Amino acid sequence: MSAPEPAIVPASTADDYADLYENAPCGYLLIQPDGRITKSNATFSSWIGYSAAELVGKRLHDLLNIAGCIFFETHFAPLLHMQGQVSEVAFEFITQTGARLPALVNAAERRDADRMHLSTRLTIFNATERRRYERDLVEARARAEAAEKQLQARLLEEQETAALREQFIAVLGHDLRNPLAAITSGVALLRRAPLDERSLTIASLMQESASRMAGLIDDVLDLAHGRLGGGLALDATKNVAVEAMLNQVVAELRAGAPDRHIETQYALTEPVTLDPRRMAQLFSNLLGNALTHGTPGAPVRVTAASGNGAFELRVANASALIPPAVMERLFQPFFRGADLPSRQGLGLGLYIVSEIARAHGGTITVISDATETTFTFRMPVTAA
Amino acid sequence: MTALARNNVHLAGSGERTIIFAHGFGCDQNMWRLVVPAFETEFRTVLFDLVGAGGSDLSAYDHVKYASLTGYADDLVEIGRDLGLQAATYVGHSVSAMIGVLASQKAPELFDRLILVGPSPRYIDDGDYVGGFTAAQIDELLDSLADNYMGWSAAMAPVIMGNADQPALSEELTNSFCRTDPEIAKAFARTTFTSDNRADLSRVAVPTLILQCSDDLIAPLQVGAYVQRHIPGSTLVQLKATGHCPNLSAPAETIAAIRSFVGA
Repeated sequence: MSAPEPAIVPASTADDYADLYENAPCGYLLIQPDGRITKSNATFSSWIGYSAAELVGKRLHDLLNIAGCIFFETHFAPLLHMQGQVSEVAFEFITQTGARLPALVNAAERRDADRMHLSTRLTIFNATERRRYERDLVEARARAEAAEKQLQARLLEEQETAALREQFIAVLGHDLRNPLAAITSGVALLRRAPLDERSLTIASLMQESASRMAGLIDDVLDLAHGRLGGGLALDATKNVAVEAMLNQVVAELRAGAPDRHIETQYALTEPVTLDPRRMAQLFSNLLGNALTHGTPGAPVRVTAASGNGAFELRVANASALIPPAVMERLFQPFFRGADLPSRQGLGLGLYIVSEIARAHGGTITVISDATETTFTFRMPVTAA
Repeated sequence: MTALARNNVHLAGSGERTIIFAHGFGCDQNMWRLVVPAFETEFRTVLFDLVGAGGSDLSAYDHVKYASLTGYADDLVEIGRDLGLQAATYVGHSVSAMIGVLASQKAPELFDRLILVGPSPRYIDDGDYVGGFTAAQIDELLDSLADNYMGWSAAMAPVIMGNADQPALSEELTNSFCRTDPEIAKAFARTTFTSDNRADLSRVAVPTLILQCSDDLIAPLQVGAYVQRHIPGSTLVQLKATGHCPNLSAPAETIAAIRSFVGA
């Protein structure tokens, strides 16, 4: 059983209405068309610090700060004239003691049947907390915009620096080639001259170093061009003799590691369109890595196959598991594993492999377990 | 974009003579809607919005160009030349009074008389000169415009609805009147209230009428008197109207004063 509801007695006496008017939780003002106050309620009177009698005859201007007066004249009054009412305008009243009273003001005109302007009613809401919050919001937005601008400027600066650095690498790499070519041909000439055994060994070592250095320069230039030009340019050729190309790379690397065993297995049933020089570079990098990092004594297995619209090249070697943290960064430029320093290159090999793969519209993936690591390159038989 | 499209120029009326009305700081060309119809039978009437206000092309707003009133005066000259104005009557309210003074010097052929409603050549006091405001008060104005950012940008639109008493007032009109991009509003306030065109007054070479309101906080009596003293041969008429916008609050009195000056 619910409790009997209390009876609702409609406000009917003049006293009730007067109380609602005088003590409403908002300020009321009535102003004449010339802006002078004719009536105010007790709430507004207590906020502003002037008695109701003192307020009569004052103009709204007298109660506002100068900024509010200008806003009143240039926005509030015209809007009121045009529309008959205005809502939610922010003003600051100046109280009798000189304190500020932030407020939101609504206004509506009262007109007679001939549209003659009789008076304007205003309701005033204390907005101290709200104004503080709004100003905080505006300030926060200004701060966020400033931070964003700063960030953009810094990013632009970084991008410019990076572009300059890459240009520098490209120019440097290019300029190193000529003196290196001179050294290489000089050493080749020396080796043809009659030399004692010790000198011949030194010349061979020099030639090996020079060709390794040429390889490093090529890698750096590929990196710079790839970065600057938004990818490597391909010189795609139809019906490439893939098997011969792969065999040549195998022969070259075998010469450098005569004690290692390389097994090859080819099943090339569909003609392939690719850039043979770049593909040889990709394969040479993968095979070179396998020989360097694979367990010595265990064979490196190479398989190449084309068919069903795809070309696939696989290089597998016996090895320990590559840790996941290393796997993640394997194809990033300048990444080097935990090799002996003497065996380190620039860390560009696999990055260039992945760039070549990408340029062919292909993918390069790696799988590693406790016994074996396999790199797989796949592409459509026609380079995309 | 042509000057006429950029400044949202509206033509009406017909007659041998042309009268052009310019609005001031705050709202747009609708400030003149109670005045213009009275001239349409005898004049070709021209209304436009300053760039940044009302229906003007906001993308044409250039912070450098409009950092001084000269930028607005250049626009006015372009509008006048595009319309082929010769010896027209110019009526400029508030800050547009000075914009008209500048334009009439740049292109003397455009206007053969100026009517300046609530003009002020400088709002900030300067030595003996009384402009009505201190620099600190103007700074406070520029800061406090942000208080009405939220109100005057997006949120205001649904609040301002058409008034049942004034069905002619379309919703489109109520939404745009007095509203603009807050950044532009602030820049325009800065340009307006930090302007100083006192030196330009003595160069006015056409008959000029100053309409001075009785209780105008933005352009007080001393300022109107100053303008009258410095424009050679100018006339000052003090209106009974109070406030800064007699074109809205006392259109009949405003119309009568303009009429008697242009002899219509």
